[in-house]
Amino acid sequence: MTLTREELRKLLLPGLAALALVAAGAGLVWGAQQSVRSAQLRLAAAEADRRESTERLTRIAEEEREVKEKLDVYQQLKQLNILGEEHRLEWADAITRIRTQRELLDLRYRVDRQKLLISAPGKPANVDFYASTMKVELALLHEEDLLRFLADLRASGNAYYSVKQCLITRTGQAATGASIVPRLRADCEIDLITIIDRAAKR
Amino acid sequence: MATRRILYFTAEDHYLYRSAGAGLELETKFSGDDLGVTAFREHLRGLKGELFCVLVDVAGEDFHEDQIPFLRGGDREAVLQRRLAQRYRDTRLAAALSLGYVAGTRRNERLLLASFTNTQQLAPWLDALEEAGTKLTGVYSVPLLAPALARKLGAKAGRAFVVTINRAGLRQCFIEAGRLRFARLERTVDMVPQALAIFVRSEMLRLAQYLGTLRVLPREGPPVQVFVVAPRAQRSTFEQALVSDARLVFHTVDEGEALRSVGVRRAPERILGEALYLHLAAKKPPREQFASSAERRRYQVWQLQRGIVAAGALGFAACALYAGVQWVDALQVHGRAASQQRDARLAAAQYERITAGFPVTQTSTENLKVAVVEFRRIAERSASPEQAFVHVSRVLEQFPQIELDSFNWGVGRPDARRDRPAGAPPDAAAAKPGQGNAAETLELSGRVNATQRNDYRAITAQVQRFAAALGASQGYELVRTQLPFDITSEGTLTGDIGGGSAESGEAPRFTVTLARRLP
Repeated sequence: MTLTREELRKLLLPGLAALALVAAGAGLVWGAQQSVRSAQLRLAAAEADRRESTERLTRIAEEEREVKEKLDVYQQLKQLNILGEEHRLEWADAITRIRTQRELLDLRYRVDRQKLLISAPGKPANVDFYASTMKVELALLHEEDLLRFLADLRASGNAYYSVKQCLITRTGQAATGASIVPRLRADCEIDLITIIDRAAKR
Repeated sequence: MATRRILYFTAEDHYLYRSAGAGLELETKFSGDDLGVTAFREHLRGLKGELFCVLVDVAGEDFHEDQIPFLRGGDREAVLQRRLAQRYRDTRLAAALSLGYVAGTRRNERLLLASFTNTQQLAPWLDALEEAGTKLTGVYSVPLLAPALARKLGAKAGRAFVVTINRAGLRQCFIEAGRLRFARLERTVDMVPQALAIFVRSEMLRLAQYLGTLRVLPREGPPVQVFVVAPRAQRSTFEQALVSDARLVFHTVDEGEALRSVGVRRAPERILGEALYLHLAAKKPPREQFASSAERRRYQVWQLQRGIVAAGALGFAACALYAGVQWVDALQVHGRAASQQRDARLAAAQYERITAGFPVTQTSTENLKVAVVEFRRIAERSASPEQAFVHVSRVLEQFPQIELDSFNWGVGRPDARRDRPAGAPPDAAAAKPGQGNAAETLELSGRVNATQRNDYRAITAQVQRFAAALGASQGYELVRTQLPFDITSEGTLTGDIGGGSAESGEAPRFTVTLARRLP
């Protein structure tokens, strides 16, 4: 059956209608497939959530023990003022007090600006660990002076003291007898670490 | 369903019926003369594009059986046209009905050639339809529809007669194996039902005898079924008159029952048996008909249009079905997700209830854990020089001739250089998986006293023993030893033997580096 131009023109509208129907059908299929994909993603997320919640529930006894144990440490950190803002004046007071008590010959120190050490992800907010590096120069009669200084510093609190470096050298000065001459010199770098818990209640 | 109009064409008057759904209505009636044609043209004026078919119920219909070779496609069509042209002077309304194939090696096709003896009476009516721009679906004769009616009335395979009393007269059609073999129309005059029934029987006996003479109906064999459609309320009269015998078995069917069998729900009051054929022509027309392809062109284009839209609709339906299945899947998955979320919420709520009884903290449980765990990690990586002092002091007690100048302690990455023989395997401690990189390092510089300056061997041995003692305990490892004298092949070895300077110079210096890995 050979069609004339006029007949072809008559078939144009039905052809377009058929195309529109097929396109609408394809649209339906696409929409349905998108819906299935979205539902599957939602299901996967929900399953993961449920699994996590269930696991947490099954571990709750262990968690209670863990919370109790960690709470002790947390409270100690708070009592020692490691948790919270820096207390630079207290640091200066503590160093002065140690020098006086231990009768150290010479003691110089410099505390650098605070820098972020670690930002640990928590819920509902992060827990940030800050460090301020303190450089200390000490004139020592004996190496025991350094160890006592470090012990006194730790006991003073207000930060966690993490010693990074200590160089002890001989001064080479001979003892005169008239005055006390330092025999050793120590140069140390100590990180003064404090913790800011953004979720902590004031 | 589109409305179709059927022109019922008899030898006298012509009736225009309208078929819609299961209903049949008489639209108008035309006389068979020129006035009728003019009226028909007038009537068609507002019906351009409408569907029409013509049902011819006249006596002058010719049937002739013929055979052609087994052919297909264009060749078969050409042969058919030639046979029709040989048989009929006017082939405008001629048809060739296939009766199957002759058994045998040549497989000739049996044909029933059919046409009207006077096609001229139909021509002006068909021309009027063409000029009005209507869509002609086909031109049928009543016998062409008889096989379909026979099936509806219950005629099975084999031979059967279908007899109806139409407006045109008594119509008798002979069907064999579901195909038309012969038909005739006998005019009737007004007569009482009993006389009509007797007339039907006598005409049937005459026809059977005639077909027997032509050897279309075998003389011996099982009786032939005769389905007679009796006019309304005359069934019992017909049943009494139509007595079966050895050749013919009569089945009388009430006209109303027959109408229901073919699917007619509404029909005009005064219509006769032609209603059955009219409905079949409108709803279930056979493939065989008399109009040429050119006369049915508009209808064929219309069919093509509907076919295209139907294909589109079918595609849409298939897509919709598939999409529906997908939506059902999506709904099920949504349902499962909602169930999982509900379970998660319940578990979380239960968790919250239980944790509400935990000790009061000044922060969230999560932050409490994070703060303590991270603090412990930092503390584990931190160290103090006290242990190094104690370790070095103990070793020094064993080496009184060694004096230290500097003690450099630190925490950081261990030095990659290590004292080990060439070709020895790498230090296992340096590459243990799961361990951190942080290490405590200790660099000691000193001198060896109380030994002759030029006693290289003794000095070297003392330093090596000292270094070995340092690296042998407390977790310390020897990283590097710088001897007072370079005894390696890569270095330069110098000496001043007998010059006296060795005695007065400084004691030989060395450096020992140790490391201890932190957790």
